[in-house]
Amino acid sequence: MGLESSKWAIIFLVCWLYKNVSCNSVEQKIYVELNNTVPCVRLLNATHQIGCQSSISGDTGVIHVLESEADLEWPLSKGPNPPYMVLLESSLFTRSIMMKMKNESNRVAGVAVVVPNTSPPEFSPHTTCPNENTGVYSDNYGPNLAHCNTTVWNPRGNGLSYEEFDFPVFSLKEDNETEFIKQCYLDHNRAVNGSAPQYPLCAMQLFSHMHAVTNTPTCMRRNDINFSINPEMVCDPLGDYNVWGSIRPYNDTVFGHKENESVVIAAARLDSRAFFWEVSTGAEGSVSGFVTLLAAAQALREVTHAAPPTRNILFAFFQGETFDYIGSSRMVYDMENGKFVIDLDNIHSVLEIGQVAVHSGTNLFLHSDPVSRRNNTVNDEVKNLVNNLQSSTAGLGFLLVEPNVSQPLPPSSLQRFLRAQPIPGIVLADHESAFNNRYYESFYDNAANLNLTYPSDLSPEEQLEFVTDTAKSLTDVATVVARALYKQAGGDESLVNTIKADPKIVTQMLYGFLVSSNNSWFQAVMAPELKNILKPSPPEYYVGVAMSSTPTRLVQYLLANLTGAATNLTQSQCQKPDELPNESRQMYSYLWVQGIVPPNSTERDSFCVRASVRLTKAVSPAFELGEYASKDYSTWTESRWKFIKARIFLVASRDLEMLTLGVGVAVLFTSLLVTYFISTKADVLFSSTREPASAAY
Amino acid sequence: MNLERLPNEEKLTLCRKYYFGGFAFLPFLWLVNVVWFFKEAFVEPTYTEQLQIKTYVKRSGLGFLLWVAVLTTWITIFQHFRAEWGEVGDYLSFTIPLGIP
Repeated sequence: MGLESSKWAIIFLVCWLYKNVSCNSVEQKIYVELNNTVPCVRLLNATHQIGCQSSISGDTGVIHVLESEADLEWPLSKGPNPPYMVLLESSLFTRSIMMKMKNESNRVAGVAVVVPNTSPPEFSPHTTCPNENTGVYSDNYGPNLAHCNTTVWNPRGNGLSYEEFDFPVFSLKEDNETEFIKQCYLDHNRAVNGSAPQYPLCAMQLFSHMHAVTNTPTCMRRNDINFSINPEMVCDPLGDYNVWGSIRPYNDTVFGHKENESVVIAAARLDSRAFFWEVSTGAEGSVSGFVTLLAAAQALREVTHAAPPTRNILFAFFQGETFDYIGSSRMVYDMENGKFVIDLDNIHSVLEIGQVAVHSGTNLFLHSDPVSRRNNTVNDEVKNLVNNLQSSTAGLGFLLVEPNVSQPLPPSSLQRFLRAQPIPGIVLADHESAFNNRYYESFYDNAANLNLTYPSDLSPEEQLEFVTDTAKSLTDVATVVARALYKQAGGDESLVNTIKADPKIVTQMLYGFLVSSNNSWFQAVMAPELKNILKPSPPEYYVGVAMSSTPTRLVQYLLANLTGAATNLTQSQCQKPDELPNESRQMYSYLWVQGIVPPNSTERDSFCVRASVRLTKAVSPAFELGEYASKDYSTWTESRWKFIKARIFLVASRDLEMLTLGVGVAVLFTSLLVTYFISTKADVLFSSTREPASAAY
Repeated sequence: MNLERLPNEEKLTLCRKYYFGGFAFLPFLWLVNVVWFFKEAFVEPTYTEQLQIKTYVKRSGLGFLLWVAVLTTWITIFQHFRAEWGEVGDYLSFTIPLGIP
């Protein structure tokens, strides 16, 4: 009985101890994982690789917080414990410092850039002449205008995004983790009175091993090799979908030239990039342009239903324009090869909305291509378009001006159309020659760059509805664009002044695209299955490889809601509209959207939108044709990788590590020797005759 | 297998099998032949079949050294020049390393 109860007592004791004992991993005591980091990844094109690469087991370096450019001496030459992991403030993230580190890359294990919340005065990691080899200007077409000989479009560009680094570069936010890293540096790594800091030192390890190398033809070839045991994809082409919509619908199954059809194309670009992967905000660079075009499309909706113009108007939003015009080159290729609903000969003229960040009262500029204007018909058509634009600004407080000097077109999708055929076109922009945008294609081109500010006491819903000054300026631009398009399409002149863009829609779009995409209006216009792509932060405008970019979907559904019609169809009818007599999926696309939540209700008022809005694939023709070394089309691909992470820990000196290893090996050999000797002398040491023990019981 | 227990004729047939087997692009058979029959061929006191076993062992040794020379040369050249050969190098490779040229 006593044994039973003591057994139970022991069982209970063990269970209680088990409950109170917790797991204490050694790994958690050594490493501190850094969670809010963004890497720089490798991109490849037909001839080069750009971006950053780490070694397969991560790059470890002793942390050094750089104080000034002169302080670079310590990691590059004077420091006694190479390699170093250099931590930079964003003011020191300049071309000269990065190039110096690139040249001494055996002493630099990696770079971490701390990105602050406030922007520096100017920063553009893009090149000075964007897309210079895939535009229209070349040695055959306007040779004195090619390669930015007359106008340097992005003079602030330092070209860092297009350099190749063989160490990892990560970006950190200015938050508690970064404070922790700086504190670790101050505690362990500071040199005291000029003497070398003592081990153990604070070190950081960055993992961003990229699989692709050399250039696109090599990585696409390695993708296709079937011979090896485990075929690995190493890179993917950049691309997504273009969004297009028209006033009069086109039959989506009939491609090629359409007789007697004349179309005015209104174009804008959707994407943008930054030095680090995926964190692109593109406020002035792309958002201002496509938001204006969406607002213009909405402004034209009523008047084109009441008094349809002679020509059709096609709104085109191109993806991938940052990377050598992926979207527009694909659309032109499809038009040339009869794979699009219209043909290049059907195009009457093109109006493209470029960077249009205006402040009230500033003028906008109308850029055109001087080479194609040498032809009289093209020149007359361009002058007609300029007239239509300039006369549309009546009463709006700013003017549209043609630039004084004869200069080429800025980097724009129109250049790809001109490469195929001389088409009259105008690019609307806020810069007369060089860009006004101080943060072109950088992670600082955000809402603050557009002066998008809200009073501080508003809730998110109130901010959504608040009409900012930026929104008012962009609304005026959208009104001008809409009126000019209507006139250009041969619409009724007397109705032109009734066309007005809606500032409320513009400000809601600016809020959704630059502050928070998860707001009630975007939720209402999106499909139920896509509502999870809306987040409390602005969407990312990098074109990516997954063909599922958020801005494309948002623009598709917004264009459908703003230019289409709400129907009475049920959800099942919306998915199969061809069963109904008046509906045709070939002419329209039918999208089931969530709708708003009416007051006093929790269910959404979903409905079916019928709109002539379509998506077309925006992958470079080089990948369709298999010409991976093409000089005519974009050949950009993004490398694949397994995992990307960063962590910090204390690292011991090499001497201590070697000493520990040596002692361990010595102990091993000593124990082997001792065992050998004992086993050979076993019969002497452990004699078989037992001496009686002197112990007594 | 303990060679001491075998009669001499069987030793000879075994050695011969390994010698001829090595011609089927199997240099390790020749290496095994050399190592296994080395004592039999050169250390043991003479017996009738020993002369033939000796020739087989010598020829296996030569064949093996030839294979080592050829393979070493090819492997050195391939490892050094695979990156420069581009397409040809990739088609010759069984596993291509990731992230390095």
